[in-house]
Amino acid sequence: MAEDTTVPKLNFDYWLDKAIEWGQATTLESQKDVCLHLPQLQEFLHQLYETIKLLGSTVAIQQFPLIGQLLGRLCWNPFVIGYDESQKTLMLCLCCLYSSEPQNTVELKANSWIRSLLCHLLCSSKWESNEAETSTFISALGYTSADYYCRLVKNMVISLVTELRENQFNGLKIQESTSASRVNAVSIFCVPLITLPDLTPLLETLLFYHGGSSKEILSSEFLEAVNEAFLKKKISLSESAVFSLWLRHLPSLEKATLHLLDQLFSIRLNSLEEVAQVIKDSLLPQAASHPAIFRIVNEIFKNALMETDGTSEVMTIIQVFTHLFLQTHQNEYKQHKFPLKAYFPYHHQLLVRALIRRPFELPTAYWSQHLKHISDMVKALVEDINISSLIGLFEIWYLVACFGEWLDIAAEQLLKAAVEPDAVLWLLAFHYCPKNENQQRTQTMVEAEAVYNHLMKLFSCADLSLKDLEAAVHRIRGIEQCCNQRLTAHLLTYFLLFSPGGHKLAQECMYHITETTDAGKEVYNLLIRTAYRFNRSGEENQRTVKLLNELLQKLTLKV
Amino acid sequence: MEAVLGQVEQLPALLAVSRSALVRGWDPLTLDRALEWARYFQHLHDRFRARPQLREALGRRLRRSQPCPLLGFPALGRCPQLLGLALLENRALPPAACRRLLRSLVQGPGAESGPEPRGLVQGPGAESGPEPRSLVQGPGAESGPEPRGLELLARRKAAACLLALPRRPPPRPAGPEAELQAELQRDAALVAEAELQTEAELLLGRLREERQEGGEAAGQRRWLGRALEQLPRPRAFQVVAAALALLTRAGDTDGDGSGPDGHPGSAAGEGCTAGLLLSWLLDKQERFSAFCLCLTCSRLAFLAGHYSQLSRSYLDLLTCWGSHLHYDPLQGRWVKSCLDKAEVSWEELKERFSCLCQGSALLKEQTQAALKLLRTRDGDFRVCGLSVWTDLLMEVGY
Repeated sequence: MAEDTTVPKLNFDYWLDKAIEWGQATTLESQKDVCLHLPQLQEFLHQLYETIKLLGSTVAIQQFPLIGQLLGRLCWNPFVIGYDESQKTLMLCLCCLYSSEPQNTVELKANSWIRSLLCHLLCSSKWESNEAETSTFISALGYTSADYYCRLVKNMVISLVTELRENQFNGLKIQESTSASRVNAVSIFCVPLITLPDLTPLLETLLFYHGGSSKEILSSEFLEAVNEAFLKKKISLSESAVFSLWLRHLPSLEKATLHLLDQLFSIRLNSLEEVAQVIKDSLLPQAASHPAIFRIVNEIFKNALMETDGTSEVMTIIQVFTHLFLQTHQNEYKQHKFPLKAYFPYHHQLLVRALIRRPFELPTAYWSQHLKHISDMVKALVEDINISSLIGLFEIWYLVACFGEWLDIAAEQLLKAAVEPDAVLWLLAFHYCPKNENQQRTQTMVEAEAVYNHLMKLFSCADLSLKDLEAAVHRIRGIEQCCNQRLTAHLLTYFLLFSPGGHKLAQECMYHITETTDAGKEVYNLLIRTAYRFNRSGEENQRTVKLLNELLQKLTLKV
Repeated sequence: MEAVLGQVEQLPALLAVSRSALVRGWDPLTLDRALEWARYFQHLHDRFRARPQLREALGRRLRRSQPCPLLGFPALGRCPQLLGLALLENRALPPAACRRLLRSLVQGPGAESGPEPRGLVQGPGAESGPEPRSLVQGPGAESGPEPRGLELLARRKAAACLLALPRRPPPRPAGPEAELQAELQRDAALVAEAELQTEAELLLGRLREERQEGGEAAGQRRWLGRALEQLPRPRAFQVVAAALALLTRAGDTDGDGSGPDGHPGSAAGEGCTAGLLLSWLLDKQERFSAFCLCLTCSRLAFLAGHYSQLSRSYLDLLTCWGSHLHYDPLQGRWVKSCLDKAEVSWEELKERFSCLCQGSALLKEQTQAALKLLRTRDGDFRVCGLSVWTDLLMEVGY
């Protein structure tokens, strides 16, 4: 720890200069500057405390002769004292410098000065005054400054909230410019206080405040700081306040979305229920009821998908998000709902409508028909576009992929209730291989049909051996086209789950796949998605459910 | 139990000593003991607040041990802050003890596991020594005791300063001078209002505590008078007026005026508190007169509308003032008969009666009736310049 004394020492002069600079300036710019530096200052103070707490007060002053100046100036800066834990660290530093056995007048004076500073911080005198004694009235009542300031802050918040609300409904043009700058000033002064629970009503009122001008009135420092605090769960705001924040400050929304993705990447995807909970807690699906928010979040997800080359984890996250968004959207009052076009402005509306239908809204027997309907529409769209315009193709592919539930059901339906399998198979082939410049998709379709026919022949067989499935497994192994690999893996996995003969082989085959191919992760994701689907819809076949759980358990350890 | 009662009796003495020069002789160990006692008292408070009989017993014993009953049972709950802050301000405390105090103020009970105060006699049964204050706040969201140090207090004080800032003048580049001035005045007024509200709330909270502890009326009045003496007179009047105004809203669930205990007052209870405040106001004629001169007409009219005691006394006072005016035929108006500052001019009298007539229907009726009666007694003139009451009635539109 002794080596670390160099670290704060380097910055000491910097912060002293800053403290002097801030102390003298009363302009809004310098106040903004303080706000910007508050987190680093807190970190510095913490390091400073860690350093001097091991030294005695005399040695500390020898090592940092100007420490008194620094601490003194900071103590008189309400921005610093109001922020997070800075006041605690500052007071701890002061305690360290207080000597229990003063040897000379200098030390006595220092002690007295420290005492005064602490009185200034803790007693119920005015902030600016030099005499720091508890008001006699408050003590006559038997209360302390703690009681006084608790109530005073509450009353001042109420007063400000009332004023802001009145301003809002005032509508007098004359006062517009003045009130805008005042509100802006208030938002800056609130920055250090954001994590103080007493302030929450004021924060919310500010977030809902619209001055009538098209420019943003609240300072960006404020909006960023509120967003940070919310993401780190240091404050609790009402949902509508959070939505208001995101609607008026795009960077906050972007940060929130990226923060969610970070969170999800760092936890292990053990069950989609966990993922869904994290996503729900982030409030993004609920916020996405606002079409503007939905479109931005969607864009960010799309980019994430592209950057990770379309890994299935990201796709799964997007699918869960879309599902949660739909849930919230459909629970809203009919009057407050935006039309679908607002969320998917560039897409074919009938296709969107078809994809948005939740499986439980249709009778099971109708699912194949519905899927064919979707497939036909997609096919028409795809074949209509100029093939070289890949962007259009990607958008269609992405739209369908978001509603992954239908794709999984497509595979399931293929194996269980084959009504017009061609269309459904085409849809799956499109999903796994959208591009067709070099006839990849056509080729995929052909091979998929082969696999499918093969599996359907084996479907009713009671006695299967691994050898029968060897051909399929082989396809999953090292092949040129990965599209086919994933599609085959999908079909094969579902075959094992849903066919009576497949059940017995499931464990063995799974092991085979994970050991000899690199499709393990893909299969794992498929299984979790299926488990999530079953939990919500309730699969009747208990054996399937049991098997699924067993497979998941085994794979969880491996992957 | 007797042992506990005996301990509680020590609290006033402890606080008194902490404010006196006697602390000169304290060493760190003594300080520690004192702080432990404070925590112990807080612990007693938390333990017994929901048990009325024990609570009452403790409260009574506490009052017995003070010449003027200042501290009641709730004060036990605020003990650590009361003691800590009192010691902080006491310059007589020697450095070694002071250092220990500072640590404890900032870090809280912290590492020391808070053993029983030394010398404590174990009471029967349940009362064991004070448990170390955990970092998790105990039941009941009190505004007072915090298990950690006092950093929240420092933070709130800074917050109060910051929230007042937008209302103080930063150097403004543009904007017409008059507008700026008006804005500044408005801001200052709003801040002052918040501070006033706070003091009024604390006053009411304390009075409520007194009432709940069963303090007797005479003692309460004495105590109230002494407390209000700590403020400059105009301020005291403002605080009392604000407190009375708060009591008219006692039905709100906002919890304004509720003490740190968090118990909202009952309607009858609030009436008692109001009665106490009013009796202080009306106690001395001089005081009441100064009160009425200090407050704005509208404020007084508002209060008069809600408190019949007040409206009666106010009308009497106005009668008295009015009768001191005489008509100057040369100037053609009513003037004061002597240049006593404690009297009002014609304009102001007129204003005050106007405000009263803009109040509630009952108040308007009362005022009107009073004026009419006075006019009659004065000779029932209907022409200007003969009776001040006639002229007033004409001014307020009757």
